[in-house]
Amino acid sequence: MIETQHLSKLYSRGLYALRDLTINVAKGEFVFLTGPSGAGKSTLLRLLLLQERPSEGEIFVNGHNLATLSRSDIQEYRRGIGFIFQDFKLIPTRTVLENVSFVPEVLGVPAAQQKRRAFQVLKWVGLQHRMNALPQDLSGGEQQRVAIARALASEPVLLLADEPTGNLDPDLSLEIMNLLREVNAGGTTVLVATHDRELIRLVGRRTITLDGGHMVEVA
Amino acid sequence: MRAIDYALREGWASLWRSRGSSAFAILAIALAMIVMGTLLLVTWNVERLLAQWASAAEFSVYLRDDASSEQRGAIETAIDSSGVVEQREYVSKADAIGRFRREFAELASLTESFEDNPFPASLEIRIRPDAEQDGRAGALVQQVAGLPGVADVRYDREWIGRLAAGLSAIRGAGLLLAVVMALAAALTVASVVRLGMNARRQEIDIMQLVGSPIAFIRGPFIAEGVLQGGLGALTATAFLWLGLRLVSAWWGTELSALFDGGSIEFLPARLAAALVTGGMAVGGLGGFAASRHAI
Ligand SMILES: Nc1ncnc2c1ncn2[C@@H]1O[C@H](COP(=O)(O)OP(=O)(O)O)[C@@H](O)[C@H]1O
Ligand SMILES: [Mg+2]
Repeated sequence: MIETQHLSKLYSRGLYALRDLTINVAKGEFVFLTGPSGAGKSTLLRLLLLQERPSEGEIFVNGHNLATLSRSDIQEYRRGIGFIFQDFKLIPTRTVLENVSFVPEVLGVPAAQQKRRAFQVLKWVGLQHRMNALPQDLSGGEQQRVAIARALASEPVLLLADEPTGNLDPDLSLEIMNLLREVNAGGTTVLVATHDRELIRLVGRRTITLDGGHMVEVA
Repeated sequence: MRAIDYALREGWASLWRSRGSSAFAILAIALAMIVMGTLLLVTWNVERLLAQWASAAEFSVYLRDDASSEQRGAIETAIDSSGVVEQREYVSKADAIGRFRREFAELASLTESFEDNPFPASLEIRIRPDAEQDGRAGALVQQVAGLPGVADVRYDREWIGRLAAGLSAIRGAGLLLAVVMALAAALTVASVVRLGMNARRQEIDIMQLVGSPIAFIRGPFIAEGVLQGGLGALTATAFLWLGLRLVSAWWGTELSALFDGGSIEFLPARLAAALVTGGMAVGGLGGFAASRHAI
């Protein structure tokens, strides 16, 4: 599903955020990406979402070389990806339901299906009763579940999550992980970046460890 | 279809959200369209006037006081056989002074002091419009001017030509001004739309990241520009219409004389529609320029 070859990302001052990274994630897999802060986890996810371009090396997703995609191809490629941000990135002026239905809306899904799909995923993350609340009125765990619901609203084949439990206490973290495991059980490939080794131990999946932009361990 | 629907909805919402600065952009468009519309109005009416005059082309052959009736007969024969004349009328010296007294009543007393009648007899000739255009009328005028017994021929076409040339000069300068103002208006629209983009920055970022089609991302900004342009052009059209009503109210009699009893007219529907479409295009151009900053 995901394949990187000698992938490097160089920011200014000769600092490599990623260096010569070659990894493989199979279709339907659940993989953790870990390592200390500054290891390059977020950078890899940004490259996968094409928010940034690699300095060297190549990325293939479903056999497509990401470097060859045109602007509109990129948008189409992103439609297949759900992304969960550490800071949630919810729209503060929209309700929970609107935040989620925003995705099918801007993907051109017919109006009736937008709300139906949004309601479906909100119910799935257990937030249908907070549908009309604004993000600011939700707890951190609830906001993260809205973010997950939004990432799932487009029925992605690949889910990328950057520190999805970064702001949550351990109980809530495990609850979120269970949600992601369920998503994975439904066939979606999941790649989760986290520095929380304890959580990884509890969930127990394949783990790619980065440090200073290098891959140091695959377990 | 869904992208257009979405663009119009979001574009209108954004226009309304920042209605203060939108009003500014609409005003800029309106000003440019008022210049453009005035130009169209003037051109439209002057061209109608010229056409009316061309179809009513006349010339006068003034006869010498000592012209013999044979000479007058020869002149009339030349005119009639030319094939370009629609109508010919003989105005005697007595007719001429009578006409003067009627048309300039306040000066009529002046004519009492004349020892003899200073007005020459003349032949007034109405030319067929097609002869006017292909130059046969001009040839006839030349021919008649050289005949014995003719004092002078007045063929007032030159100033119509000058009017037409003047019109195209005004049109050129006005068009240049209108284009410059339209560009300025498009820039205004672009910056107003971009200003509004900041309010939606977060939504746009999310749209990009979830793979929203480019038409969905850019569409609202183009729609917003088109809406501003359309509103500006409608404002300009209403303003021009009112202006024309005022001009008609103030100078109605003078204009009516100029148009031989007709009056100045507002733009026909197709030109008014073209003006509004033009405004929408200018606004759309500004919106498009702004939209390129969205993705
Ligand atoms: N936009 C950027 N400009 C310069 N350096 C950056 C930028 N983004 C990340 N970095 C650097 O790249 C390295 C990896 O960062 P990041 O991928 O965020 O690590 P992680 O997510 O594993 O904590 C860090 O040293 C960070 O300072
Ligand atoms: Mg990070």
